[in-house]
Amino acid sequence: MDLSATPSRSKSRHRSTTSKPVASPAVAQMDLSTPSKPTPRRKPRAAAAASPVAPMSPATPSSVRRSRRLLETPTKAPSETPVKATPTPKRKRAAPSPKTPIQSEPKRQRQQPKPKKRAYYRKVVYDGGEFAAGDDVYVKRRESAESDAEDPEAEECRVCFSAGGAVMVECDVCLGGFHLRCVRPPLRRVPEGDWACPYCEAERAGKAIERPKPPEGKRIVRTAKEKLLSSDLWAARIESLWREQDGIFWAKVRWYIIPEETAAGRQPHNLRRELYRTNDLADIEMETIFRHCYVMSPKEFKDASDGGDDVFYCEYEYDIHWHNFKRLADIDDEPKTKEDPSDVPYNAGNDCVSDTDEDSEYDEEEGPTKCSSARRNQSHELAANLRKGRIYGLQKIGIRKIPEHVRCHQKTDLEKAKAALLLATLPKSLPCRDKEMEEISAFVKDAICNDQCLGRCLYIHGVPGTGKTMSVLAVMRRLRSELDSGNLRPYCFIEINGLKLASPENIYKVIYEQLNGHRVGWKKALHYLTEHFSGGTKIGIQANQPIILLIDELDLLLTRNQSVLYNILDWPTRPNSNLVIIGIANTMDLPEKLLPRISSRMGIQRLCFGPYNYRQLQEIITSRLKGIDAFEEQAIEFASRKVAAMSGDARRALEICRRAAEFADYRVKQSGHTSVNRGKNVVCMGDIEAAIQEVFQAPHIQVMKNCPKFGKIILVAMVHELYKSGLGEVMFDKLAATVLSWCHVNRELLPGYDTLLKICCKLGEGKIILCEEGTKHKLQKLQLNYPSDDVTFALKESPDLPWLSKYL
Amino acid sequence: MAAATSVASRAQAVLRGRLCDQAVVHAALRSSPDTNYSKLKYLVASSVSEACNNSVLLLGPRGCGKAAVVKMVLDDLKKEHPDAISVIRLNGMLHSDDNCAMKEIARQLCLEHQLSFSKMASSDDNTEFMIDMLRECGLAHKTIIFVLEEFDLFAQGKQRLLYSLLDAMQSLTSQAVVIGVSCRLDADQLLEKRVRSRFSHRKLLFVPSSVDSLQRLMDHLLTLSEDTPLPTKYVREYNARVTSIFSDKKFKGILNSLTDADATTSHILRFLFRVVSYMDMDSGLLSMQSFMNALSSMQRQPKMDSLQDLSILELYILVCMNRLEDKEHSSYNFTTIMKEYKSVQDAYKTSDKYSHTVCFRAFEHLLGRELISFADNRGRTLSLEYRPVKLLISSHELAQSLKLNTTCPAVLQKLLDRERYM
Repeated sequence: MDLSATPSRSKSRHRSTTSKPVASPAVAQMDLSTPSKPTPRRKPRAAAAASPVAPMSPATPSSVRRSRRLLETPTKAPSETPVKATPTPKRKRAAPSPKTPIQSEPKRQRQQPKPKKRAYYRKVVYDGGEFAAGDDVYVKRRESAESDAEDPEAEECRVCFSAGGAVMVECDVCLGGFHLRCVRPPLRRVPEGDWACPYCEAERAGKAIERPKPPEGKRIVRTAKEKLLSSDLWAARIESLWREQDGIFWAKVRWYIIPEETAAGRQPHNLRRELYRTNDLADIEMETIFRHCYVMSPKEFKDASDGGDDVFYCEYEYDIHWHNFKRLADIDDEPKTKEDPSDVPYNAGNDCVSDTDEDSEYDEEEGPTKCSSARRNQSHELAANLRKGRIYGLQKIGIRKIPEHVRCHQKTDLEKAKAALLLATLPKSLPCRDKEMEEISAFVKDAICNDQCLGRCLYIHGVPGTGKTMSVLAVMRRLRSELDSGNLRPYCFIEINGLKLASPENIYKVIYEQLNGHRVGWKKALHYLTEHFSGGTKIGIQANQPIILLIDELDLLLTRNQSVLYNILDWPTRPNSNLVIIGIANTMDLPEKLLPRISSRMGIQRLCFGPYNYRQLQEIITSRLKGIDAFEEQAIEFASRKVAAMSGDARRALEICRRAAEFADYRVKQSGHTSVNRGKNVVCMGDIEAAIQEVFQAPHIQVMKNCPKFGKIILVAMVHELYKSGLGEVMFDKLAATVLSWCHVNRELLPGYDTLLKICCKLGEGKIILCEEGTKHKLQKLQLNYPSDDVTFALKESPDLPWLSKYL
Repeated sequence: MAAATSVASRAQAVLRGRLCDQAVVHAALRSSPDTNYSKLKYLVASSVSEACNNSVLLLGPRGCGKAAVVKMVLDDLKKEHPDAISVIRLNGMLHSDDNCAMKEIARQLCLEHQLSFSKMASSDDNTEFMIDMLRECGLAHKTIIFVLEEFDLFAQGKQRLLYSLLDAMQSLTSQAVVIGVSCRLDADQLLEKRVRSRFSHRKLLFVPSSVDSLQRLMDHLLTLSEDTPLPTKYVREYNARVTSIFSDKKFKGILNSLTDADATTSHILRFLFRVVSYMDMDSGLLSMQSFMNALSSMQRQPKMDSLQDLSILELYILVCMNRLEDKEHSSYNFTTIMKEYKSVQDAYKTSDKYSHTVCFRAFEHLLGRELISFADNRGRTLSLEYRPVKLLISSHELAQSLKLNTTCPAVLQKLLDRERYM
């Protein structure tokens, strides 16, 4: 079969395949699902040319179409069972040529495949186009007479109706193309920012204006983009490609959807070229694929200045079952768990060594099947918070309508600064930790690259907020990219946080699960792990790869007899353990606190992250705020100096700056948007001062100042009594007597004993004073929780009790 | 007559309804820009609209309206952004155990998003579920708001809950707000250093309001508006009366003596509720007398009251104990008291002579009323007579109650006074 044959696709051949008798169960499954899958997408518009694929789908109105799709998706699940049942596809898949299926090449396609095997490809040259997994393509929707053959690559100008020639500019409203010279008045160059054509401008202004009509006899040729946006074409993303044993190429695709087809309809904030990715997958024949298009994430879209006509924008995913939207996650934000199907992009890249390839493919296959098996038993008793249910339940979360403020809001500088200062935003660069990162990276590389991976340990310590975990993760990210480019031996990275474990022993369970994907009790896991590291039965797929174990908050693993730490630190010392441990904790002398046999195993390799000094803090903040003009120079310096003097905690410094930006933003917003004075819209010293005040100053003085009158008298009497007696605490009996005598002398109303007791208890609740429980009545012992100078300072000049100051 | 009564009771019901409705009580907060309400609302709203994480602590003595402000802010935001906010409420009294708090979070998240929940899930599962939910909700522009009441109780032990919550918030692109509510002023100092470093240190301080604003609040709450279903004539009459009371000098005194002890909003509300309950049901109007009654019922001294209605013998025992304490007996028990009692009887030859068993009954009664107590928890095996006891009321209180007690024999007072001035 010559696949790269004619550009005009012959429908008859394409259709006939479906009815072919089939042998293998795997194929049978495909055939079952294919007709039912794409059909719901057929639109009534094609009703006349009732598409040959859909014998059982009569023309359905579009609303029904949606519900049909809903109904049909679950049926896909049972039909997929054969895949899981048959052992064939998994291992043999790589067989056709040991040299890897990635080499894309036409010659390969001519090669006659062995029967009963599905060959998966990374890349297929088909019809003169090169298609790879992960590409976005147009998919033909109907087989009508119009248009499929004609595919204008160049768009025609809306005024002169001729394509090509000069530079064209696209209207951001109607998406029509215009020659620069055809626009009235003519444009010199492509304008910056949004541009609307004169016709759209006029329409917006409410004037009636006639658009130029095409010259007689000339048919308007619609581009693929226009067809897509008027739902005559589909767009889809190729997830995988394979060839059936009968030689026909298939692709699993993920559909894109245009805003009009969603439940929410087109929203005012939708861009013209916006698409939504759906979670609807289908298997289609390569026949139906039309040609490439380019669906880009917001960032790519912004960068692509003139990407051509087939560029689309996709920020959200649309769930076709629940009709809700969700932002697409950035790939590198996603944690890379083993079973996660989203791991594919990573695997797709590592094609350096042939033996890993098989592994990666194995994973790839594992992903979908697991997913589908989880889907299959998506009966309702599955709980979302149990592990098994997770894949199912979370799809439901999503927003019905994308809130307008998210899309339309033009961020001010202050808001941008706030976003940049968020702890969660990953900075583009990590300043000030180069030396440490160098060291970590050298350590890890050293450990990996040695063929004989000797067990090693690295202990990293430093106060909170000095970038310990972040540095290690950054190093690992860098190493991963090195691994992807093939310069490094593959390894396995496990990250564990001691404070997130329910109990120290659970760490065995977690490690085992990360290696193997199965869950067992911790005792069993310990047994398996010990065997694994001492050279017995290996766990998991990557049995021979070195394992890098990062344990954050290592000190939390301390148990009474320290057995957990002992076991973990003992593994690297075994021969052939292939284990590297990086431990992170706050205390400098953790090894010294441990039993000698553990600290000796921990080794001497240590790395200290000192607190940042003010220059470094300043650099960190300014590097985050690059390009945003929201802070005064001195303000940043002030904040970093202040934090460096207190703790050197970068988180603290960022939070203070963010808080200050919030103060400034609040001030600007309260005063109304009218303030033209630019200097006011910048974070100044005052804001930083207020933020620091809030963080560092305890609120007790404020509360003391606002105490009820008797509360103040009690506090002063207490200071007085404590001073007189020289003791640390005072009995309530004595205190009350003093208070009463003072009140008597100064002609205040005399409070009852019980009232005083109640006030004491209230002060005790706020921990201004420390007191025993109230049932002890007069035997209650009281203690000041703050230095008596604070009380003196707070109550020296209280307007309602002028006489109080003479007792201080 | 019957009509008037019904009007009065209806007015009472309206007023009580207003006093118990937090939204009415704190309505004044909405208008001004500098209150904690608007600050908190700005914080939460900015995290909803700008997709950022925040954690904030609300500190202040009990009864200052912390929880009420949180409730108002959340109600308002739920109205503004329906479908985009889910609230998880935890209370330190109930969920201070980390595992149980995690489970509760998972349960409420499931409930909020119509997912099915399993109580079998382990705490690791629940933690992972929470982190997944945080991420998914962040992607869907949904904000999760955690309200942790009695925040200080979460800051015990290893603080795993706070750590995993705050760590997830600073490492994921989620939008979540943690609102901690606590009456301990040093709540943020209780956090472990690595938790504190992740906490974003916004603090809002709630303090009791000033006398002026309290008076405004009272005015706002007690004045009936014209559009209530009550007769207009009555409403006018009632409002005129309330205004005249508020301008009275006596009222100022009442207000001052009330706020001298406790100036929190909840205290004032309790006071006003009593005022309304003391309303004159014939005329349906408030009078100065109802304010006075309410004040005196607010300033009850329970110990004095219980001293008032003790029997003579019990008073004798208390006085004897007081004499013993004055004589610097560090430790004494029932038998010592009986000895003292005997010596008093011998010296003054009073008629109030009771047998040993009757005295013991009275002694037990005093123990029950917690006017006296055992000195320590040791010696539980000892019989009651020999366990050391202590007096829980001061001699000052005792003397006052004897003075007020008309049936008390003069000897007793003399006994007490002699001790004091000797």
